[in-house]
Amino acid sequence: MHTQLFHIFRNTPLGRETLLQSIYFCKQVGASLIIYLPEFTKFLMYFENDVVQIDLDDSYLTSPGTTLKHVKELLDQGKIKARFLEPKNFTASTLPDISTNFDFMCCPRSISDLSSKIGLGYIGPRVRRIVNSARFPVLITSPVFKKWRSIAVFFGGSANAINALKLGFRISRASEMPLSVYTQMENASKESYEEIIKNENLEEEMDRYVTEWHMFERGKFKQNIYDVPHDALVVLGAYGHSLIRNIFFGSKMEKIQSTITNNLLIAGPNYALTR
Amino acid sequence: MKLNLDDMARCLDLPVSTVDRWIRQGRIPIHRSGNGCIFKKSILEKWAVNHGLRFSLSNEERKKELNFALTNLLPAMQLGGVFHDIKGDDVKTVLKSAVDKVPVLSINKEELYERLLEREALTSTGIGKGVAIPHPRAPLPEETDNSLITTCFLEKSIAFEAVDDRAVFVMFILLSTSIKNHLHLLSRLAFCVRDDAFVEFLRTYPDTSSLLSKIADCENLLDKADHN
Amino acid sequence: MRILSRWRYPASWTIFRIDDRLLLILIALIVGTCSGLAAVALNRSLIAMFEWLHYFRHYWWSFIMPAIGAALSALFLDKMVKEGAGHGVPEVIYSVSRYGGLMRFRSSFSRLISSCLTIGSGGSAGPEAPVVMSGAAIGSNIAKLFSLNDRQRVTIVGCGAAGAISSIFNAPIAGMVFSIEVILGEWKAVNIVPIAIASVAGTEISRILQGNQIAFSHRLFHINHLDIVACIGLAIISAAVSVLLTRFLRSMHRVSKKAPFPIWVRAAAGGCAVGIIGLFLPIVLGEGYHPVRTIIEGAFTQGFGIVTLAVFAKILATSLTLGWGGSGGIFAPCLVIGSLAGLTYHRGLVLLWPSVSWVNEGCFALLGMAGLISGMLQAPLTGIFLIIEITGGYEAILPLIIVSVVSTTLCHYIEPASFYLKELVEKGQLLRPGTDARVLSDLSVQELLEKDCIIVKQNMLLRDFINIVKKSHRNYFPVEDERTGHFLGIIHLDDIRSYLFNPPMYDAVVLCQIMDTNVEVIYLDDDLSEVLRKMDMNQLFSMPVISNKKFIGMISKATLLDNYRKELMVQTDL
Repeated sequence: MHTQLFHIFRNTPLGRETLLQSIYFCKQVGASLIIYLPEFTKFLMYFENDVVQIDLDDSYLTSPGTTLKHVKELLDQGKIKARFLEPKNFTASTLPDISTNFDFMCCPRSISDLSSKIGLGYIGPRVRRIVNSARFPVLITSPVFKKWRSIAVFFGGSANAINALKLGFRISRASEMPLSVYTQMENASKESYEEIIKNENLEEEMDRYVTEWHMFERGKFKQNIYDVPHDALVVLGAYGHSLIRNIFFGSKMEKIQSTITNNLLIAGPNYALTR
Repeated sequence: MKLNLDDMARCLDLPVSTVDRWIRQGRIPIHRSGNGCIFKKSILEKWAVNHGLRFSLSNEERKKELNFALTNLLPAMQLGGVFHDIKGDDVKTVLKSAVDKVPVLSINKEELYERLLEREALTSTGIGKGVAIPHPRAPLPEETDNSLITTCFLEKSIAFEAVDDRAVFVMFILLSTSIKNHLHLLSRLAFCVRDDAFVEFLRTYPDTSSLLSKIADCENLLDKADHN
Repeated sequence: MRILSRWRYPASWTIFRIDDRLLLILIALIVGTCSGLAAVALNRSLIAMFEWLHYFRHYWWSFIMPAIGAALSALFLDKMVKEGAGHGVPEVIYSVSRYGGLMRFRSSFSRLISSCLTIGSGGSAGPEAPVVMSGAAIGSNIAKLFSLNDRQRVTIVGCGAAGAISSIFNAPIAGMVFSIEVILGEWKAVNIVPIAIASVAGTEISRILQGNQIAFSHRLFHINHLDIVACIGLAIISAAVSVLLTRFLRSMHRVSKKAPFPIWVRAAAGGCAVGIIGLFLPIVLGEGYHPVRTIIEGAFTQGFGIVTLAVFAKILATSLTLGWGGSGGIFAPCLVIGSLAGLTYHRGLVLLWPSVSWVNEGCFALLGMAGLISGMLQAPLTGIFLIIEITGGYEAILPLIIVSVVSTTLCHYIEPASFYLKELVEKGQLLRPGTDARVLSDLSVQELLEKDCIIVKQNMLLRDFINIVKKSHRNYFPVEDERTGHFLGIIHLDDIRSYLFNPPMYDAVVLCQIMDTNVEVIYLDDDLSEVLRKMDMNQLFSMPVISNKKFIGMISKATLLDNYRKELMVQTDL
């Protein structure tokens, strides 16, 4: 089965960078690109157990006349074909429904707030909702187009981290890029992490795809993140823990996303591996 | 009980996406937990019956399929046995003595003989090059559990009204459990006989082990051809 | 931590796993209470706002107030919560039929505030549809919180709507019937029980907070045989009026859409016009429960001409308010228009046959209300039960039934879809459970895919192809380009049968020469109704499915029927 990446085009220079990221991702992973050119500033995404209204920032609709031209230019440059998504169903006359049967979705860090807010440590509330309810992983791009040449998976041992690891394998298999795993040891021995891998029957794949497993035994996580190469696609799981735990202990995802500028591929708690 | 989604779909004989959707829509008494499906066997079975669906946890279906799997020449011939110097001067007497050799006890030899003759009366089963494949018209699912071929080398060649009018020197008595199996074995045997070298080999009246190994070679060749 | 988060998944608790009815009843109780509270809140704030603005009603500039209210409500919807205008009931039905009742959280309060602004300031609209939307959204979000599945969520959404209607009218049966007849469209015990519980909860909340009052009490009626005959005429009139109201609302909508102003200016213009009408006929302002009460008590003294005028004025005011961007429902205006129409009819009767002793005018007003509600919603049961409950007039049941049924039938004849459903029917989005459209929309191309076709390469010789034919179970062989893997065409065994038995052709023909390149194809995200239409048009039984120019499987009518039947069985009896 081929995979699909969903992209919402923003007709601004920022949107251009984001589309370039998507095109690069698609070419590496062999996914086909699906682009939505918004006609209204809002649309609905119906997920399995949630519906998210996405109110696009006004800059998505700037100069509608040039949108198609801009997209076509970028696609030609990237030598890639894309399909344009036409919403079929409307909840209200100006509120189209966008289906959610994609394998990836590309988002900048913010889609409903002003793009001037985009910076380290900020992920817009809508993007968070999408990550939280989507069955597909979300590609959160860095503001400027950057090619990535390796894959870095953050693995903390939780169920969601295992999903992220499998996602890392999948990307590595499709793109044939080297994959390294990063683990911050938290009061647990190296063996306990290997035990988790063993229990999930991932040893074989671990050997096949992973070039290196970095275990940070000491030092703060934030400092250790510096070891992640600048041109790596960072794959991680998100929202694996309950809300309460996040409030007390903080989330790894927040730490990572507020520290590094790499492209992030985030697998939410509903990321399904059936496909 | 707990199964993962893929196994669940297999048990219900439905596409994975359908089962997934039904669980989401609450149409099927299964709960979702992560990638697993939690359900109560008795309730699900009842539900499946009420909705005209199949649900079986075990691999019974597949076992049945295995039962129906086609038998190849080699096991059938091993089962049927190879016999030399079958006596007789014409079709009837040859068949009579050959039937006695068939190594299945539960079979009524008299009746089998009748049936073989009945089939011969239709048209001769001599397929040429001195080979005949006598068989009853209908398969014998009750009498035998497995299909078998009894190989009988005749003491002297006899006229069999074969298609090419050549005297028959060897008979393969073919008893099968189903029509499908019968056709399968027949076509394989015919494939072997089409090869002149094989017929020449038969004319040397080979002993059991060398015949079987030759058959095994032929079958390998056939399997290879099928897979390309 | 695990234990703490388990409360969100009650469906997996052991007691509820076997049978979810108990769980649904418990949740229905919560939802009914919440939506009942929402309804009471709206009712209270409407009354407060009306009283507060009452002092300004005497000034000449008071016609501006509906304009301000409507503009504020439009601004609130458009800029603050970013929702479309309209009363919201079609949205509820849409989400129930297509997405298992998933609704946004913001819907649970947005309509309350906006309709409060519109109606409180004097716009002619009803608070019921907004309350239904809020109740449904509250139900949906509570169901979401407890991670219920689609079927359960739909029921809970119905509970929310039922609780809201029950609470605002103090009418539990009407709430139940409305929710089942209009929102869910499915009469099943699994739905009815929780909805009944929610209705009770909603009504009880309203009784605790507002007292057990019957909205429109009246004197005793003595109904003769002649009255029953006369009510057929009333049914015809109320059907005509409801068709008129529907047409007016829709045409206003179209006109206002063409106006090149921002939405809040349009709303203000509509509100202004309503205000001006209200200067002369104050009866058209607001939701209009007060005038209804006077009419039913028989205390409405104006003559035939004024009353007839009032009917049309109210229709105009309602369509101006709603059509131009105000927020609110048509329930209350229907009651007002219905009672006015009934009154008109009574006055007319008295004028024509002064000697006959007709039952008093309150009774006709009541029948008119039932006729209009039934006609607009095309839901006769809702009309009957609602009117009985809000008036406590069981003695009028016989003419009530006649008016409701005749009016529904006539309206259905002229306008095949009710006011709430019209939009959905036009878009083909009304997917009631167990219907053909619903089954087809639930099934997806993905589920019907048959993947056991053997794909062949375009430059393969016929001789090699014959070996493949031997092994295949199917009559179709998709052909692809060996270099790119793109789908090129398809070979159907029937088309090439004659070559198959012609050995000289074996080495002379390659597959790309005999394949059919002009084939209709399907894409993964096509709707099945569309697929079936294509099949019928071209008299095909199988079609290839293409994704990203590659062949991924076949769809055949046989599999479709097989799955269709399974789906129908699973959908219709639970």
